[in-house]
Amino acid sequence: MAERKIDQDVMALIADILEMEPGKIDPNAHLVEDLGMDSMMALEILAGIEKRFKIKVPEQDLPMITSVNRAIELTKKYVK
Amino acid sequence: MTQTIALLRPAVPPMLKDRVILITGGSRGIGRAIVEAICAAGGRAAFTYQSRKADAEQVVRQVSGEGGGALAIQADIRDFKRTQAVVAETIEQFGRLDGLVNNAGITRDKALMMMSPEDWQEVLDTNLTGTFNACRAAIVTFMKQKAGRIVNITSVAGLMGAERQVNYAASKAGIIGLTRSLAKEVAGYGITVNAIAPGYIETGMTASLDAKRLEAARTQIPVGRFGRAGEVGSLAAYLLSGAAGYITGQAVVIDGGLTL
Repeated sequence: MAERKIDQDVMALIADILEMEPGKIDPNAHLVEDLGMDSMMALEILAGIEKRFKIKVPEQDLPMITSVNRAIELTKKYVK
Repeated sequence: MTQTIALLRPAVPPMLKDRVILITGGSRGIGRAIVEAICAAGGRAAFTYQSRKADAEQVVRQVSGEGGGALAIQADIRDFKRTQAVVAETIEQFGRLDGLVNNAGITRDKALMMMSPEDWQEVLDTNLTGTFNACRAAIVTFMKQKAGRIVNITSVAGLMGAERQVNYAASKAGIIGLTRSLAKEVAGYGITVNAIAPGYIETGMTASLDAKRLEAARTQIPVGRFGRAGEVGSLAAYLLSGAAGYITGQAVVIDGGLTL
């Protein structure tokens, strides 16, 4: 899968969960501190990534989802 | 002919058909009855046991013809990492996990003045921390699939208190607090969390109690008898089923009216 497509899809997915416009999210912004994400939303992002890319992300990686860019990084680690 | 067909029809609909349930402490007593009830309702049961391998194997053999059968896993649920591995093994073996029953529990009954810190800690570690460990190990799976059933076995001792059981009653009251809090936390994820609070049930645990105390207890039960483990099993199967989707955060008392 093209890297650019992963970037766009993860951003869209997170924007949808946070109920924000994708263009208004700084990919390096801290999802909890800057964008008000809670632990439930983090799980929704994880589940959304798994479903969208048909991958399995270990539960231990959940704390890694701290920004859009970190979520993209994590996704790329498991997408073949 | 119609009558014959009606007789052949199972009395209980398979309300847990193809559901996979993990039960802690399933080799005897109430836990064993829950394993049996799940399999009788068409479900598949993975259960832990700590040391009674022969008992566990007998349970597996006994339910092998019913539902999807059972899987016995040796584990000490006080160990969080081991409990995580049990959840993973269940999912690997059966392909899914739909529910969890936290049943494993012990007693170390003594008057407080005779109770050692070890007596206190052992009971808290198994009954309360063990329940936390299994809930924690399974919750992400349930949240991701937006569905799950958790049933925690507590006791009327946790509601009313019981002499010579400050450790046991505290652990069981703690389970009720955990149940109610978790129920609120995950209700939006299609997960229900309930507790069952049995009174006196005929099991090895009650058999170990003082005979005089048991007889005195019997006279206080309006129904006039001790409960049967199978009756708790049926209640657990119901709470694990789709039919119980609107019940959450409850401690369902099954005590023959003892606490009335």
